[in-house]
Amino acid sequence: MNPVWWIARKESGEILVSGRGLAWLFALSLVMSVLSLLLVSNTELSLLDNAQVVYMVMGTITALGALFAVVLGADAVAGERERGSLMPLLLTSVTPSEIVSGKMGGQAAGWTVMYLLGLPYLWAVGSSGQNLLQAIAYLALFGTLTVLGFGFFALGLSARFRSVRTALLTSLIAWMLLASPLLLGPGLRQSAVGKWFDAVNPFSASLNAFDSVVIDSQPFAVQAGRLAVALAWLVLTAWYAMRSVRKLEL
Amino acid sequence: MIVEIHDLRLVLGGQPVLNGVDLTMRAGDIYGFLGPNGAGKSTTISVLAGLRPPASGKVEVLGRDPVAERAWIHRRIGVLSEQSGFYEWMGAAEYLKWFSGLSGKRIEEAEAALRLRRVGLDGRNRAPIGTYSRGMKQRLGLARALLNDPELLILDEPTNGLDPRGRREIHDVLLEMSVNDGVGILLCTHLLDDVDRLCTHLGILSRGKTAMEGPVADLLAGQRAARYRLRVPAPESAANLPAGIRVASMSGEWWHVELSGAGDPAAAWRELLDSGLRVEEIHQEGGGLEELYLAATETREAV
Repeated sequence: MNPVWWIARKESGEILVSGRGLAWLFALSLVMSVLSLLLVSNTELSLLDNAQVVYMVMGTITALGALFAVVLGADAVAGERERGSLMPLLLTSVTPSEIVSGKMGGQAAGWTVMYLLGLPYLWAVGSSGQNLLQAIAYLALFGTLTVLGFGFFALGLSARFRSVRTALLTSLIAWMLLASPLLLGPGLRQSAVGKWFDAVNPFSASLNAFDSVVIDSQPFAVQAGRLAVALAWLVLTAWYAMRSVRKLEL
Repeated sequence: MIVEIHDLRLVLGGQPVLNGVDLTMRAGDIYGFLGPNGAGKSTTISVLAGLRPPASGKVEVLGRDPVAERAWIHRRIGVLSEQSGFYEWMGAAEYLKWFSGLSGKRIEEAEAALRLRRVGLDGRNRAPIGTYSRGMKQRLGLARALLNDPELLILDEPTNGLDPRGRREIHDVLLEMSVNDGVGILLCTHLLDDVDRLCTHLGILSRGKTAMEGPVADLLAGQRAARYRLRVPAPESAANLPAGIRVASMSGEWWHVELSGAGDPAAAWRELLDSGLRVEEIHQEGGGLEELYLAATETREAV
């Protein structure tokens, strides 16, 4: 069997079986449950319209997915090195590139679980609206590009740094910096800095696409530029992770 | 030769770590690789495994360059490294099955159970590895190193954390592999008892350089002076002892003597008894591997 698939399978198992993986999934579900409850209540009271609520849940799933990916990625190599399980891997006939590729597969599995976990919440808040199917499709497309990019970035850092803590802190700073559009108000996003930030930030690209499709019901053609930004982010971070392979010696 | 290292040198972070390591092993040898902490044993192992390229010197494992042909070599060697971690959420059998997929010889449940039994890890194959004791993890590490039926086995402190019975069981496994299968075993350890029981060859590393190397029997025979304790019940004079026997100290009826030269100790004792001295007991003191080790490492420390 292909070693990349073999390692990815182990990584997926770790998410679904290990206490640490399950604890993270439980915590993410809890956050989504509380958020959905609040949003549904707001919709019932007509404080927010349905499309707005769906958009917010999509943004939250993407942000939490990226956070989960960062945690997984930061631990992927540095954690194995700290726990002494990296050395046995390096002593097999599997190449470092295959190890990192397998870990990337694990990232994809983590996001798949997170995405599937988010679907019932999306349905709960969006089933009475019009654009639920588009929301599900766009979350799969833009969410995958953005979230995996964060995971690959953290994975690259994890291969370069010897400690999980350093890799995790650096990745979290990047996550907070880029996820700030989720927190910034519309006014700040209209400033010159905000506009530039929006143009290059994969989070912004995803959020703007969600906004455009779910709230404004715009077609796919309008999303080309945003898709290019998100895709560029994924390619860049995948390249960075693979470049970090040479740091994966001991 | 399955391992041939000549004048290996390695620099890490601008500091010379290895400055002249020599090591030669043939199939079936059990080679004790000794040295103080920080002498460079684990670093030498990482070079052998192709994980670090040497600065200079000759390094061949199974006749090939370990850096250039790392994957080929990894399919044929087994390594139990000092830092040997596991995925603690997995069971031992599941872990071996998974790991075998990486080493190119995939095994099934029954084979995994058999291999775990071989290293004395039986009955808890499905329990998470996180619940294992240190000794059990050490056994699992050995089972992992043996997964690809290696031609060369490199073990860094393999009996760490094992009780005396466990150590004896692991010794038996290693002896069987060496004698029956011709597997070469490089044993990195601080336990001279392990070396005494298992090793045919010995290399002592001190400050990144091989201070002593060769067959254990030859090295022991070449010791310059061995110390013995004699019981001489009647008051006697030490003045007329045969040449080659020197009294280092006396304590009551016990004489502490040294034999110098590479002569046969039996001949020295025969000569001693022929001289008319009444000796009731002869015990060897120290000597052996411990003396060799101390002599080799002290010499280097003094340089």
